[in-house]
Amino acid sequence: MPVLGTAQFGVRTFYAASHPHDKCGANGLPVTPNSVKILGRFQCLTSLSHHRLCQYLDISKTKHECMIIVSEHHPQCLKEKLKSEGTFSEEQIVHTGFQILEGLVHLHDNNVTHRNLGLENVLLDQEGNVKLSEHGLYYMTDYGADVSFPIGLPRYMPPEVLCSGPVRVDDDSGKCIQPLSGPKADVWTFGILLLELILGQEMWSDLGINEKLQKILQFVKSDMSPFDILCQNNATAQKLQALSLEMRDVIRQCLIVSSSKRVKSGDLYQHPLFKAERAKAVPPKKDFTMCTTELRCENLELPTYEETIANEFSDDHLSQRNMQEVYYLWRLAGGDLESVLKKAGMSKTRPPVNLLPCFGILDGDVFGQDRDYAELLDNTVIKLNQEQLRHRLRDIPPRAYYPRLEDEAKQLDGQQLPTSPSCGELTTSATLPLIIRERDVEYQFHRIILYDRLLIAYPFKRAHIWREARVDIPPLVRANVWAALLEVEGDVQGAYDAIDKETPTATDRQIEVDIPRCHQYHELLSSPTAHGKFKRVLKAWVLSNFGHYVYWQGLDSLCAPFLALNFNNEAMAFACLSAFIPKYLHKFFLKDNSPVIQEYLAVFSHLIAFHDPELSNHLDGIGFIPDLYAIPWFLTMYAHVFPMHKIMHLWDTLLLGNSSLPLCIGVAILQQLRDRLLSFGFNECILLFSDMPEIDIERCVHDSIKIFCSTPKSATYRQHARAAKSRNVEERPNVSYYSRDYNEMPRTELSMEPIPMDELKGEKCPRISAEDLIELGELAGAGFSRSPTKKRQGSKPMIFIVDVRSQEDYRRGTIQGSINIPFQTAFSPEGELVPGPAVSTLNQKRSQVIVVLGNRGRSASNFANELVRLGYSRVCVLHKGIDVFRTTGLIIVPPADI
Amino acid sequence: MPHTVEKDFIYIFETKTTQSKLRVPITLPINISFREFVARLIRAHNLPCFIEEDLEKKLAEFVNKETCTLHDENADEAILTVKNGSISEKDLLQNWLSVYNNELKLYAKPYELSKDEKFGEVYHTLIHSPALETLLNLEHEYSLGVEQVIRKRDQDLRHLLEKQRHEMDDAVQNVGVVYKDNDINKLAQKQFETTQMIEDKWRSELGILHEQQKAEYREWVHRVHEDSKGNATLPSYVQRLRNAASGLPEAEEDERQAPTRLEESFTIHLGAQMKTTHNLRLLCADILELCKHKPHTVGGVVIPQPQRLQTAMSLYSNNLCGMVMLVDNRLNSYTGIKQRFANLCEHSTDFHFPPLNQQFEYVEQQLPQAAQIRAICKIQAGEDCDAGDALSLHSSSSSNSGEEKEKGGEKKLHGGDFFLTKHSNLSEVHVVFHLVSDDNIRTSDITSRHPVILSIRNIIKLCFRYDIHTITLPLLLTHEMTEEMTIPWCMKRAELMFKCVKGFMIEMATYSSQESRTIQFLVPRGLSEEMFYQISNMIPSIFRLSNPLVVKSS
Repeated sequence: MPVLGTAQFGVRTFYAASHPHDKCGANGLPVTPNSVKILGRFQCLTSLSHHRLCQYLDISKTKHECMIIVSEHHPQCLKEKLKSEGTFSEEQIVHTGFQILEGLVHLHDNNVTHRNLGLENVLLDQEGNVKLSEHGLYYMTDYGADVSFPIGLPRYMPPEVLCSGPVRVDDDSGKCIQPLSGPKADVWTFGILLLELILGQEMWSDLGINEKLQKILQFVKSDMSPFDILCQNNATAQKLQALSLEMRDVIRQCLIVSSSKRVKSGDLYQHPLFKAERAKAVPPKKDFTMCTTELRCENLELPTYEETIANEFSDDHLSQRNMQEVYYLWRLAGGDLESVLKKAGMSKTRPPVNLLPCFGILDGDVFGQDRDYAELLDNTVIKLNQEQLRHRLRDIPPRAYYPRLEDEAKQLDGQQLPTSPSCGELTTSATLPLIIRERDVEYQFHRIILYDRLLIAYPFKRAHIWREARVDIPPLVRANVWAALLEVEGDVQGAYDAIDKETPTATDRQIEVDIPRCHQYHELLSSPTAHGKFKRVLKAWVLSNFGHYVYWQGLDSLCAPFLALNFNNEAMAFACLSAFIPKYLHKFFLKDNSPVIQEYLAVFSHLIAFHDPELSNHLDGIGFIPDLYAIPWFLTMYAHVFPMHKIMHLWDTLLLGNSSLPLCIGVAILQQLRDRLLSFGFNECILLFSDMPEIDIERCVHDSIKIFCSTPKSATYRQHARAAKSRNVEERPNVSYYSRDYNEMPRTELSMEPIPMDELKGEKCPRISAEDLIELGELAGAGFSRSPTKKRQGSKPMIFIVDVRSQEDYRRGTIQGSINIPFQTAFSPEGELVPGPAVSTLNQKRSQVIVVLGNRGRSASNFANELVRLGYSRVCVLHKGIDVFRTTGLIIVPPADI
Repeated sequence: MPHTVEKDFIYIFETKTTQSKLRVPITLPINISFREFVARLIRAHNLPCFIEEDLEKKLAEFVNKETCTLHDENADEAILTVKNGSISEKDLLQNWLSVYNNELKLYAKPYELSKDEKFGEVYHTLIHSPALETLLNLEHEYSLGVEQVIRKRDQDLRHLLEKQRHEMDDAVQNVGVVYKDNDINKLAQKQFETTQMIEDKWRSELGILHEQQKAEYREWVHRVHEDSKGNATLPSYVQRLRNAASGLPEAEEDERQAPTRLEESFTIHLGAQMKTTHNLRLLCADILELCKHKPHTVGGVVIPQPQRLQTAMSLYSNNLCGMVMLVDNRLNSYTGIKQRFANLCEHSTDFHFPPLNQQFEYVEQQLPQAAQIRAICKIQAGEDCDAGDALSLHSSSSSNSGEEKEKGGEKKLHGGDFFLTKHSNLSEVHVVFHLVSDDNIRTSDITSRHPVILSIRNIIKLCFRYDIHTITLPLLLTHEMTEEMTIPWCMKRAELMFKCVKGFMIEMATYSSQESRTIQFLVPRGLSEEMFYQISNMIPSIFRLSNPLVVKSS
C-alpha cells in the first residue's frame, strides 16, 4: 500500500444492473445481486498497488444497488493539461506515454484489462507523473456484465469491441456472452491516446457518437492500416509526418485492426522509442508482507540524503503514512461518504412514490414503473476533503508518528498490566468502552502506528504485540495481529500454494452446501468471490489434515472470520485457521469426535455448577443439558452464533486466552440470560437458543475473564486437550497468566489425570488437583507457585477445605485449615445440612472456593453434589482424595477442638 | 465464441538417463497462480522437485501465449462477422448508440421534471417548513367543501329514491286498473335512467370540483413557494395562507371522535447471526378505517387528525406506507369493498395523483404487455415439463391459457395479480395494493404456495425495493368475518400468514440494508376479543421478540 504523499481521495458512484425478479441460479438459490458480486471482485484491486496506478481504497454499497468507490485521486488530468498547453513536444509525449505504458503493463501482468483508458482517466500528480485511474471498472464489473452501461468512451473503442456490440448477459450464468477484452484492447486505446497527445486535441471531437463509431468501422472495413487512413487527412498528416520514425512505428503497431497482429503491451514496453525512459525508470518499492521467505533486506535501499532531509524538515508527517491508514482515519474523523455525495448532489434520487410500478403479476414481473435518472453513469469524481482529519490530528506531536519501542525489556520481567509509550498518554481513553475507543481518531491513530511498527518487527516483537493486544486491537490491523497472536510464521504462501485445492474431492459437495449458509448477511462473504475463496481455504484445511481430521459442519463458520479479515490473502486465512484449530479445538474434527465433545460438555456443566449452582439446578431440573445447545458454540468457537462484528471482539480476547477460556465464555453467556432461563421451561429454553438472542459482547468478554480468573486451573482439565508441545513452549513469553494451557505445564503426581467419562458425567462439580489446592490454599507458603496465578492483594487463601471423612479419619490427619463435616451425618432426611458449628463456619465462607476432601470413594463427590443442590457456589472436589497428600508431608493433625 | 479453451501443455525434461515428457490439458485462462498450478502438476504426476522452477517458467510462457491467442482469435472472429456482413452495421451502431444514450449521463438527455414532480418537490419543501400547518388546514378546508357537495348529492339521491319508490308503489297497486305491465316496465326504465342521469350529474360536478380545487391549490402552493424563496420574511406568505385557511368551520355534529381500536405492538428480531429489528402490529379494524379521515373536534372546531400530518410529510420521502386490499378480478369500483374505497377517495381532492378511475385506466394499459410476459412464462414452463417428465397437470394448464386467449382474456386479471394506486388524501396510507383473489381463499386448506400468498411475497419485495416501510396486510386474508371462520380456521390462517411473512422478511432482508420495517396485521372488525388475544399470543412463539429490558427493583 503506497504512502499518501500529495494524493487526495476521490469518490465516484455507479449503479449495478439489477436483476429481473426472482431469478435463481444453478444451485436453486436466488441469484446474488450484481452489487454484491462487484463488491467481492473489487477486493483484489485494493492489493494491486503500483506507482502508476491510482490506488483503490474502499467500496461500499448503498440502497438500490448503488456502489460507492473510493480511490486515490489527483486534481489534474491529462485532458486538462492538454487543453491548457495545446501541444506536447515529442519528448513529453514519449515520457507520458511510457508512464501510461508502465501502468498498463502492470495491470496486464495481473490479468486486469483497463478498457477504460482515456485522457480523462489519466491523472497527473503534483510532479506531473502519470496515475491511471478507473482501471478496475472493467474487471470489477465482471467484464461489464454486472452493469448496464458500456465501459469506455466511443472514441477509444477498439475495433473488436465495436464489432461484438454492447455487452449482452447470459440469463443463466449472468456472464457476458461476447468475447472478453484482452490486454490488446488497451493497446489500441493507447495508440489513440498517443494520437490525441500528438494532435493536441481529442479525436473527432466535433463528431457525434454515431460518426465516431462510423470512423472506427471504416478502419475495420478498409484493408489499409488505420495509420495510413489517418494520414490521408491533411491536418493530421502534417503532424504525423513530423514525428520520428519510431514514434510512427509505435502508433502504427498499436492501431492494427486485427488483434492477433497488434503488438502486445509487454513488447511495446521494449520498443526502441522508450529506450531512454526505460533506463530512467525506477522499480517500484516492495510492500511489507508478513510471513514471507523472501529476504526483506534483499533490495534494501536506505533513504537518500535528500529524502531524509525532506522527511525530517517536513511538517506533514501524515503524508508519510499509507493511504489505507489515512483513509481509515479520515472516516473516523467524521468522514461520511454518503453525506459527501449528498452535498455534491450526486445522490439525488427521485422520490420512490413517483417510481412505483402500477401492476404486478403472480410471476413477479411488474409494469408501469419509471426509471430513476440517477441510475445512469456519471463520471464525476468527488474529492474528499482531508481538512477535517488534519484538523483533528493537528496537535499530535511529530514524535508520535515514530514511537519508540525499545524500553520494554524492563517490563517483561514485571508482570503488571502493559503500558507502552503511546498508550501511556492515552490511559484515560483506554478505560473507555471498546466501541468508543474504536471510533476515537486520536486513540486509533496512536494504536495503529504502534502496531504498525510492532508488526514490521514480528516475530521479534511478538511479546510486545501480545501485551498490546491485551489492551485492544484496532480493526485496521486486526488481520495481522491475530496472525501474530496465533504464532503464524514461515512461508505461509508457499505452504498454501503447495496444496492442491482444485481437484474435486468427496467433501466438496458438503462444503458447497454449507458455504451459502455461512454468515451471508455479511456483504463481502456473500459474494461469489468469497464463496470461491471459502471453498479453497476449507479444502486446503481438509486436505492438509487428511487422515487425521474430517470436515464437520461448523468448520465453515470458523473459517469465516479469518477469511473476512484476510480477504486478499487466502494463504494467511488458511494459516490462521490451521493454527487456531489445534489450539482451541484439538481433536474436535476427528471422524468420531463424540468422546471429545462429551468431555468438553461435561466440563462445561461442571463450570456452570461451580459458578452458578442455582442456574445449574434449574437447567438440570428441566433437562436442558448443554448437549442441546452448546455444541455449535464450542465447535465453532461461537463463530456460528454471533454476527461478524461480535466475533471479532470476542476472539480478540479468546486468542489471548488458553483453551479453557471458551468454556468460561459459555458460562458468561448463560449468566447474561440468567433471568430468562430461570423463568423458562424446557420448550422456551430450546426456542431461546434456536437462534441466539442479542448478547452484550463486551460485557460477555469481561464476565468470562472474571469467571476464568476465579476458576482453579485444574477445574477445566480435559484429557483431550492438546498435549504439551515439545517445541516453542519455552520460547513463548509467559506474559499472561491465562494464556498458558494447563496441559502445557509439567506434570507431577499431584496433577490432574484423565477421568472416565461416566464418572465425569456423574459428578456435578469440577475436580481440583492437589497442586492447585496447595497453591491456592498457600499450603506450602506463598513462594510455591508453578502456575503464575493472579494473587489477591490481601493474600488471604481463597480456599476453604471441607473434610467429609468420618471423624476418626479426620482426627488422624487432615489438611491445614480444614473443617470436618462427615458425609454420613451431614444431611438431615429432608436433605438439609444438619446445623452445627462446622456448618455455620461453612456458611460464613460461602464466597470462597469450597474444596471437598474425601477418601478415594464417591462420598466426596456426593457431598459436593448435595452442596450444589443446596445452592452453594464454587464447590469442587479434590482429585484422588486425601491420599494424594501422603507423600507431601502436608497432612497435619487438627487441633483437638474446633 | 468461447471464453475458455482447453489446450495441451507439453513439457519435456531430462534426468540423468531418461527424457520425460509431460502432457496435460489445461483450461485457459487459468484462474490460479502459476506456482499453485505447478504444485498441482508436481503432486499429480509425481515430478521431481528440481524441475519446479523451470516448469513454472515454461508454464507461464505457455499460458500467457495461449491466453493471448484465445483473446486474439475471439477478437478477430468478431471483426470478421462485421467485415463479411453477417452482422448488420446499422444494427450494431444502433445498439451502441442506444446504450450510450440511455446509460451515460454524458450523452443522455438531461432529465426534466414533469409538472407533477415539480409540484411534488415544492410541496415537499413547503410541508417541511413553517407553512406546514397552514397547508394542512387549507387542504382540510377544501376537503370540507367536497364533503358538503357529497352530502348534498347523497341527500338528493335519497330524495329521488324516495320519490321513485312512491311512484312505483303507486303504480304497482294500480296495475291492471290504470297501468299495464308494460307501463310498469317503462316506468322502471324511466326511473333507472333518471337515477343514472342524476348520478352522472353529481359525478361530473364532483369531478369538476376536484379539478378546480386541484388547480387552485397547486397554483397556491407554487406561489407560496416563490414567495418563500424570494424574500426571507416568512410572515407574508404564511399570512396569505393563514388568511386563506382561516376560520375552520364549526362542528356540525357534536363530537367526531375516532373509534378506539384493539391493537398490540411487538418489536422483533430477524436473522440468525446478524439481527435486524422490525415492528409488528396486530390491529383489529376495518381496513377502510386506515384510509378514512376522521376529523377531530376540538373546542367546537373541526381540525384534521394528526395522522394526516405524518402522511403528508412522508409522501415524497423514503418512508412510505402501504396497504394490501383484497379485490375481485374486475378492474373497476362498482361493488363491495372497491366501491366503498372509491367513495372514500372521492371524499376529498387528491392534489397529487390522478383520480382513481384514471389510475385504473393506466393499469389497464399495462395489461396487454403483462399478458405477453405471462404467455412467455407459460410457454417456458410448458417446455420445461416437456423436456422433463411431462406432467399432465402442467400441460392442461397451458391448454387452458389457449382458451383464455380466445375469450379475449388478454385484459383479464388473474388470481395473485395486483395493481397499485397512489393516494395523497387518505389517512394512513400512500400506496394501496389491490390484490386479486377469489372465493377459494375462504377454504381452510390454503398453503404457502397459494397465489395470494405468493403475491404477498411480491408485494413485500416491492416494499423493500421502493422504500415502503410500513405495510398493512389483512392477516386472515379477508376483510369481513364470515360463518366458516371458526376459531381453528382463524388460528390456522393466522399461523400460516405469520410464518410466511416471516420467511419473506428474512428473504428480502438478505441483501438489503439493515433498515427496520413495520408490518401491520389487520384482522376484521367483529373478531372476538378472546380470538384477538389468542392470535397475539401466537406472535412471540413465531417471531423472536427483542430482549426485554428487565428493570430490577434493587
